[in-house]
Amino acid sequence: MSNFKDAQNKAHPNKRNTLMSALIVILILNISIQIWLLYTGLNNALGKHKDIALPAFIASLVLFLIGFFWLYYLPMGDRKDKSR
Amino acid sequence: MSDQTAKDPNWKQDFPIERTASTQVSRRDFARFLCLVSGGLAVGSAYVAAKAHFFPPEEIKGEHFVCKADSVPVGGTRSFVLEGSSIPYILIRLENGDWRAYEQKCTHLSCAVYYKPGSGQIVCPCHEGFFDATTGEVLAGPPPRPLPALQVVLKGEDVYVTA
Repeated sequence: MSNFKDAQNKAHPNKRNTLMSALIVILILNISIQIWLLYTGLNNALGKHKDIALPAFIASLVLFLIGFFWLYYLPMGDRKDKSR
Repeated sequence: MSDQTAKDPNWKQDFPIERTASTQVSRRDFARFLCLVSGGLAVGSAYVAAKAHFFPPEEIKGEHFVCKADSVPVGGTRSFVLEGSSIPYILIRLENGDWRAYEQKCTHLSCAVYYKPGSGQIVCPCHEGFFDATTGEVLAGPPPRPLPALQVVLKGEDVYVTA
């Protein structure tokens, strides 16, 4: 079955290159936000403001799931398509 | 590494002939690694939330005798530990005659703090953190939170602390 992956794999390497860099930048951005959430949650939990820990965890989990499903959009690069 | 060498047998991917090929990481693998780190951070946040909600630190109950009032000079301090706990505390007799008791662990990286006589400040020598001796609030430096305090109760000549 054809999906966007075929078109992505046939695209010019420059295009895939840009796409790959953009995906990685977004992942790094997600991780930066997660580090901040962990720091804030921990700091407040130690300061006896435990109410922040749970929303921080939920936000962190959502960011992880976004990053996880983000990997689906990674270009396949020069990897040989096994179906062919 | 997985991209260019997918045609090769597995052993050749794991032990490539060229040294540069063994250290090269493809951007796909890097992105996967970023996702792994992201998962680790989410697990860390889950741990913090679980610990805060289900395993809170034990509250201090009742009054605890520390020492006699005349054993601490004005501007002096005394370290003490409560029974059944390993957290070090510091009892301070301020120059104006007030008593204060704080946890002796800096809120930055748990270095032992000390009272600087005459200055009204508690100092952490590790990274130059300063706390107000009357309130425990952070005055300067890297500590993110004020020092946890205990109430000091004077009963005649005996000094007690309570939560």
